[in-house]
Amino acid sequence: MKRAPYPTEAPREGQKAVWKSLGDKRNPDAAKEAAKSELLTPITLSRRGLLGLGAATAALATEGCIRRPVEHIYPYTKAPEYVIPGVADHYATILSRRGELVGALIESHEGRPTKVEGNEEHPTSLGSADLLMQAATMDLYDADRSTSVREKGKRSDWGAFDRALAAILKTSQADGGARVRVLVRPSSSPTLLRLRTLAADKFPHTRVHSYTPIAESNSREGARIAFGQAVVPRHNFAFAKTIVALDSDFLHGEQGALHATKGFVHGRKLDRPSDPMSRLYVVEPSLTVTGSNADERLRLPASEVDAFARALAAEVAKHAIELGSVKDAVADAKAPEGTERFLTAAAEELAANKGKCAVVAGRRQPAHVHALVHALNTALENVGHTTSYAPVVDVTEPADLGADLKALADDIDQNKVDILLILGGNPVFDAPSDVKLAEQIDKVPTSIHLSSHFDETSEHCTWHLPMTHELEAWGDGRAFDGTFSIQQPLIAPLHDGRSVIELMAHLTDEAPRGHELVRATFRERAATPARFEGAWKTALRLGLDAGSNSVRFEAHATLDEVAAAIKKAPLAKSIGPSNLEVAFAPCNKIHDGASGNNPWLYEVPDPITKIVWDNAALVSPATAKALGIESEDVISIARDGSKTIEVAAWVQPGQADNSITLTLGWGRENVGRYGNGRGFNVSPLRTTKAMDMMDGVHVSKTGKTYKLVQTQDHDRMEGRPIAIDATLDEYKTNPQFVLFPNEEEKRSGSPTPRTLPLWDRAKYEGHKWGMTIDLNACTGCNACVVACIAENNVAFVGKEQVYRGREMHWLRIDRYFIGESEDEPEVAFQPVACVQCEEAPCENVCPVNATIHSEEGLNDMAYNRCIGTRYCANNCPYKVRRFNFLEWRGPEGAQQRVQDTYQEIPETEKMAFNPNVTVRMRGVMEKCTYCVQRIEEAKIGSRREGRAIGANEIKTACQQTCPADAIVFGDLNNAKAEVARLARSDRGYALLAILGTHPRTTHLGKIRNPSPALHHHREAPEPTKPALGKPPEHRTPVETPK
Amino acid sequence: MQIFPRALNKLPLYGAVGSLVGLMGAIAVPWYYFSPKNLQVGYEPKQPVPYSHRLHAGQMGMDCRYCHAQVERAAHAMVPPTQTCMGCHTLVKTDSAMLAPIRESWETGSPVEWVKVHKLPEHTYFNHSVHVAVGVGCVTCHGRIDQMDVVRLDQPIAMQWCLECHRNAAPNLRPKDQITNMAWTPDQAPPGWKAPEVHPPTNCSGCHR
Repeated sequence: MKRAPYPTEAPREGQKAVWKSLGDKRNPDAAKEAAKSELLTPITLSRRGLLGLGAATAALATEGCIRRPVEHIYPYTKAPEYVIPGVADHYATILSRRGELVGALIESHEGRPTKVEGNEEHPTSLGSADLLMQAATMDLYDADRSTSVREKGKRSDWGAFDRALAAILKTSQADGGARVRVLVRPSSSPTLLRLRTLAADKFPHTRVHSYTPIAESNSREGARIAFGQAVVPRHNFAFAKTIVALDSDFLHGEQGALHATKGFVHGRKLDRPSDPMSRLYVVEPSLTVTGSNADERLRLPASEVDAFARALAAEVAKHAIELGSVKDAVADAKAPEGTERFLTAAAEELAANKGKCAVVAGRRQPAHVHALVHALNTALENVGHTTSYAPVVDVTEPADLGADLKALADDIDQNKVDILLILGGNPVFDAPSDVKLAEQIDKVPTSIHLSSHFDETSEHCTWHLPMTHELEAWGDGRAFDGTFSIQQPLIAPLHDGRSVIELMAHLTDEAPRGHELVRATFRERAATPARFEGAWKTALRLGLDAGSNSVRFEAHATLDEVAAAIKKAPLAKSIGPSNLEVAFAPCNKIHDGASGNNPWLYEVPDPITKIVWDNAALVSPATAKALGIESEDVISIARDGSKTIEVAAWVQPGQADNSITLTLGWGRENVGRYGNGRGFNVSPLRTTKAMDMMDGVHVSKTGKTYKLVQTQDHDRMEGRPIAIDATLDEYKTNPQFVLFPNEEEKRSGSPTPRTLPLWDRAKYEGHKWGMTIDLNACTGCNACVVACIAENNVAFVGKEQVYRGREMHWLRIDRYFIGESEDEPEVAFQPVACVQCEEAPCENVCPVNATIHSEEGLNDMAYNRCIGTRYCANNCPYKVRRFNFLEWRGPEGAQQRVQDTYQEIPETEKMAFNPNVTVRMRGVMEKCTYCVQRIEEAKIGSRREGRAIGANEIKTACQQTCPADAIVFGDLNNAKAEVARLARSDRGYALLAILGTHPRTTHLGKIRNPSPALHHHREAPEPTKPALGKPPEHRTPVETPK
Repeated sequence: MQIFPRALNKLPLYGAVGSLVGLMGAIAVPWYYFSPKNLQVGYEPKQPVPYSHRLHAGQMGMDCRYCHAQVERAAHAMVPPTQTCMGCHTLVKTDSAMLAPIRESWETGSPVEWVKVHKLPEHTYFNHSVHVAVGVGCVTCHGRIDQMDVVRLDQPIAMQWCLECHRNAAPNLRPKDQITNMAWTPDQAPPGWKAPEVHPPTNCSGCHR
């Protein structure tokens, strides 16, 4: 069906170009044409086919008619204490991902965990959660998790394994376990460390190796150089005026991202134009979440960041910053070509903000870059202000995990290993190519693999043991600041699994029972035995042992050591068309692939590329042109000493030329229905020497193409001002930039609304729910999207259906590129969900009143009244309504999702549903409801307790999880509510206000803080003229709260 | 010339009246006979245990909340766990044949399969606690449970019926200490008592989420 395009205004003079994808930018006419079509893929149905379908529909219309079925009630036999059926409980625990743990609060319905929130008491989360945490329940209920012990692939049981292990260990005790090897993932668990010590007593010659595909080795080693010991830098970005990130995605991909985001956003929140705002400089090869939020961004191949860092230090030293011997070490450093201006500006600003700036290096950069950054922070006197240090929690982790894994493989090769215990992880899948682990494991007489799935590694092992999920098992860990945190199970193991510590206990004399093991570790902490039980219970309730965080200390880098390391470290060859680079990055969604069968994560669009269900090799437009490749071409990447890989290319604006970014964690072969065959496994290209980046790669076209599906071209907004941004200077001269971008418009007044209300506008006297979304705070991390999925039972639909534009996400994050440059565009993220228009176009066209306004201004949706005409979605200017084209939870939907023949949604997956939200069926429309179940729960609770609803009591799922506090929800009629204050902000604007829809959601315009030194070619803004007159009429009036 | 007999002159009239009656019947018959009031009220399924509310709540005067303990706290009033039954029946009627399923449940741990009588329409969320908190008596929706040997659906639990009260709740409210009193009538209200001002939701999201 075609419709006439909305009339769009001609772009204002001087307005910046805003585009969503390269395709749209290069071919605007085709984009305009595509926007006319309601369906992304046309329906090809003949007249006969349509009549046939009509007849079949009529015949089937009565098929479902039956008498109401008899339903049963199954009460408890013995009711558990404190469980009130229908009232959710919350338990504090920890979840670990990205190699670190984060405090979480888990919602549990009658013993069934359904939703993860951040733990406000925990320093790692401060109440927020990221997308991996939000998706943890889906990992728990994954139907493809391993359900039994297997011996050589055949089903066995724990009894058989226990007997076999006891027999083997007995024989190996004679030589002190010299032929026993253990491979673990780095862990901060005090219980695991304790058991390792105990095991070392019993088996003194047993070696424990560590491996994880995304390791912190470089930063640890860098700290050892600078401080003589491994420490973790902790930055408080809230106090920093200037931040320089060297290839560091500290807002998303690095450890401590939640904490960093909170601080970073705090330093940039603007209530008024005079508020201070930090400036972020980012140097990176590929556009990351952090890079998208940069005020000044420099794209630079990862290998050249080293040279840049040295030149930066040399430049900083010119500003009377005392760098000692480091100054000599970097004296002859030459900045990579074309980076001089950026470098000078950054160095000047760092020096000017001594004690109020921060320099950070990413985990990908070599150790001496980290050391140099420590030296810079010391010299800039940031230590104690924006930067402090905490001891590393896992002291047993070796410096180089790749080398450690290689040592294990070599030992096996030399026939030194009889028993190999692999506790967690999937090394066969993610090991670098020069470690032939699959072949080596086959050589070991007894190999034992504990893992959640019967995966690529399990296939090669003698024994496969099912591992418990974190929500099923006891455990503990230390947060980045040393806080002792307890992991308590929310549910008994679904699949008869055991945890890592329970298996490790087999090497000791302790009984392999998680609860006892963790308690025994904790008992050592209690002052007296009498105090133990009380302290234990308090720790369980809080999720942490209060006061156990290690003292932050102010370490000062030893400049001589840093200088020596820099002198010793050779500079990488410069990157160019004849020397292409590959940089490996953790995936923005699945990180290292540990959640490799999680459909929620697969279907969330990548924050930058917006690709779903796949990864891709990111190539810059110029490099793509030089290599003759286009998006979706399959390219092969080869390098001496590595396996050649084939991967689909994606031309990505903002990518450094001659540098290709590959995301890890994809291309699983043996994980389950959702993960198998998704994307491309790039690990075989890595070697133990080049785990993070490599140069000298050869790229060639294979001639094949691969369909990549992305959502960035869906829901076009057709050239209107949607994501509005300005620089800090522009904001200062014109605080009302979101409404009047220039002086002329101010003088001529605003355009009157083209659409007048159809009837008298309703007054909202009671509650008046509203939301503000601060584009200045939003980092685009996607946590809210997954939180919405988990809270509202949002279906996932699979790659093919997303291609047809049938994704179901109620909340999407639009990513806009701004500016004419394809190479270095600015980025704006804009979360858009239903904005709950007061004059909702969708309501006017619903023939059955299935969507209708409540007296509190919510645009309600009654699913059982909807007959599926889709008129509402057609008439929605924001494109936020989602239609259930198929029964996503039925056989046809399941088939679409996995492209296989699964007939029904697995029983365990149903356990993830929120019981307070309807699971929608085929043929109905759905959309964001402002989490109406939470509003009703609060209203009922307040009425039951005879009190008023607190000003900021109700939090929507997206708001609760947002690490940047970008989303605020509440009652616009309540003067004490945060949202009422923010909705009056001068940066506030209603999306598409010109249509007269009067949205309840107010977006707050984004402010950038570009460096004046780099942009002096921009004209100085005109001095502001005060007295702007009365507010324009097309803006949603915000009534003064009572 | 007359082709048709005179008697047929009235045929159009009969036809018109007849089709009008037929049409009204076609509307009225399904209107009533397919209504929840006709189809659902009186639903009285056989339960696995012939538990008598007339005996327990009526004759012995047990408070509703002794068994339906969460009615003031949660959405579900809660059908009691077997434990609650056994609290008394380990001492009273310990070998009654009628109680065999209860004892079996207690020993095996498998729940008693009660048949649901008060079924809400699909996609509807009802909360007991808020209704009890504002003063809706049990009897208002459930009828004289204290006089039923077998629980019977007393009111059509359908949207129109719900909305009738949500639009004008005052007549159905009572002092909070009379919630479980099955025999309470408005003239028993203490002098000066006035139904509280409640504004029950009448919009979709009040019940549909």
